[in-house]
Amino acid sequence: MTAAIEVTDLSAGYGYGAVALSDVSFSATAGQAVAVLGPNGGGKTTLFRALLGELTATTGSIHVDGRPAYVPQTERSRLDFPVGALGVALMGAYPRTPWYRRIAGRDRALARAALERVGLGDRAGTRFGALSGGQRQRVLIARALVQDAGVLLLDEPFAGVDRTSEEAIMRILDELRAEGRVLLIATHDVEQARRWDRVLCLAGGQVAYGAPAETLTNAVLEGTYGEEIVMLDCGHRAVAIQHHSHSHAH
Amino acid sequence: MQRALLATLLLAVAGGLLGTWIVLRRLAFFAHAVGTATFPGLVVAGPWGIAPPLAALGAGLGFAGLLARMTRRGATSADAATGLLLTAALALGAILASDVYRSGAGVDRLLFGTLLGLGDGDVALAGGAAVAALAGTAALGRTWLATGFDPAGAAALGVRATRGDWLLLALLAVTVVAVLPAVGALLVSTLLVVPAATARLLTGSLGGLLSAAVGLAALEGVAGLLLAYHLDLPPGPAIAVLGGGGFALAALASWLRRTR
Repeated sequence: MTAAIEVTDLSAGYGYGAVALSDVSFSATAGQAVAVLGPNGGGKTTLFRALLGELTATTGSIHVDGRPAYVPQTERSRLDFPVGALGVALMGAYPRTPWYRRIAGRDRALARAALERVGLGDRAGTRFGALSGGQRQRVLIARALVQDAGVLLLDEPFAGVDRTSEEAIMRILDELRAEGRVLLIATHDVEQARRWDRVLCLAGGQVAYGAPAETLTNAVLEGTYGEEIVMLDCGHRAVAIQHHSHSHAH
Repeated sequence: MQRALLATLLLAVAGGLLGTWIVLRRLAFFAHAVGTATFPGLVVAGPWGIAPPLAALGAGLGFAGLLARMTRRGATSADAATGLLLTAALALGAILASDVYRSGAGVDRLLFGTLLGLGDGDVALAGGAAVAALAGTAALGRTWLATGFDPAGAAALGVRATRGDWLLLALLAVTVVAVLPAVGALLVSTLLVVPAATARLLTGSLGGLLSAAVGLAALEGVAGLLLAYHLDLPPGPAIAVLGGGGFALAALASWLRRTR
């Protein structure tokens, strides 16, 4: 599978002329994972919503191969909803199921296989809200697997996730990369961002884009986080310690 | 009596199915307020020569429009605005009924319904609402589930969330109007919210919830009707009391299950 994403001079916002994100240009080819790094309110969510077609670009252009799959943060979903892990994974088949049809048997098999793949085959019948944070994240990834998109947008997939789930998620993301899919992984964790092929730093606009080793310099991190970051120089590379206490605007 | 039984069963289908989605989407207070807001419309329907369902629909839509306008800027929260408009509608209806049109004993009927005195038109409306609720659940159930479960992710699944929400509100309006003649403006929640809220305590699956809500609405409706018929009670309040008792029993059962 090959997939590609190309964004040129993109600006987008939420009506009344307010621009939440400006001048973003980057491209990713099949098999690349891009960390989207920035503080809360830096434009990560705005970029995702523009890529999903929920926000129209005020300037610039977006090219995405196929409809991207979106993996939201688990705490954004309603945990009291009467839907099980399998039911959530099956939602991945909604885009290709017309409203007058039942979900195809083939898609049911795919959803079960996706749960197996994220290590939750035995939890198919468990209510989504009764799972742990990490397990819920894996179920949402299973939903994206069922959707079978070439481009996956993941919103803080490692936030509030236990060790077992983190390892399982890393393994799946590596497999998806090997399959030639493009991954965009929103994070505010600099160390997390270093693991991926490319990093896109956002602070209202694009601060930098490139390979992590060259891109994540002190100047770029200060440009991305401003006052929110404390820099420690550990010889060969900058280590960033972030304050998490303020700025929870979305 | 046969007509009342038929209407009760049809309204149980409409109220149970729609009620499940309303409770899941946390629209229960809104549904109750829409019902109450129809009261001034019902009061003027007779004197103005408008069909009561149309007058009720007009008042309900007026309420929804005002609510949307009041909450648009975010200065007034939706629940505060709903409470305010609900009270205003009830007060307006009371003044119109007592001082302008002197509706007299008819006010009780408008507020608490008259399940034993329904006309053919009321039963037809109940049938229409039942069919609409069945069709809506079949065609839009996945949209409502995905949107309610995960609003941020629903659009990425190709789900038309906004259209689904508007259709849910339209079906809510139809169901409220259909339920009004039976249980009145003040007791709309009896068939629309209480059975689904009770079912929520008893089952954790969506299919179970939909069928349990319909079953409970039918059971409480028929039992309330029989009780009212034999003991000469007003049917709407009788069903409401049974619904409240059913909820209390379900809450007790659910608590016992959790503590054991």
